[in-house]
Amino acid sequence: MGELGADDGAGNTYSLRPSLQRRFKSSTVKECIHAILKEKLANVQYVPEEMPQLTKSLSEIIKDRLKEEGFDRYKMVVQVVIGEQRGEGVNMAARCFWDADTDSYAHDVFMNVGRGSTRDKVLYALLSFCYGV
Amino acid sequence: MEEFHPHNDEMIFNADEAHNIVKECIESVLGKADYNHNKVNQWTAAIVEQSLTHLVKLGKTYKYIVTCAVMQRSGAGLHTASSCFWDTTTDGTCTVRWENRTMNCIVNVFAVAIIL
Repeated sequence: MGELGADDGAGNTYSLRPSLQRRFKSSTVKECIHAILKEKLANVQYVPEEMPQLTKSLSEIIKDRLKEEGFDRYKMVVQVVIGEQRGEGVNMAARCFWDADTDSYAHDVFMNVGRGSTRDKVLYALLSFCYGV
Repeated sequence: MEEFHPHNDEMIFNADEAHNIVKECIESVLGKADYNHNKVNQWTAAIVEQSLTHLVKLGKTYKYIVTCAVMQRSGAGLHTASSCFWDTTTDGTCTVRWENRTMNCIVNVFAVAIIL
């Protein structure tokens, strides 16, 4: 009782910052997202009826996968955007008001092009992380 | 252990208030503009920056994430979804959809409480 170790899971600790090992790492997370998108969207066509379900399930899958990464006391926000490629322009921006020391984000874009089909799709997944409580 | 209860409105994210702020920002930036490839980068940046500034001025103990997507209208579909892993009693989100003749705009605000 009473010994405070670095990997002291539950209970009180007096650390205000996540340890280096358990800090959010953009590169690892980006790899995670990339793998999931590649797996789930490799042979998918844009079908309007299926998209609401697909976007929701993708964001859930990514969130659950990242919970397994074991980032210390992080809250997570996962956003997935799927658009249909019809030659239209899309632009996305994000700004955050947070603690730049601990909080970070990762993003990945998946596009399936050149498959000779008129209905391809673009995918943009943005992840943001907040360190808290 | 005592359970934590947000005890004042500083710890409650007011989605309606945020909705109004964001809507005003979109209207001030996009107003009567038509989709323009050269300007869209500037527009999205202006919308998120202005919204964020106004949200921060509310003076609540929150961290904010604001994202904005602008898409040219051409009959193509666009879907967005989000999943969050956070404290639902204090943290909140708000989405604003806006459109005119030539473009669609979707702004998402995520507010994460800072527990002091």
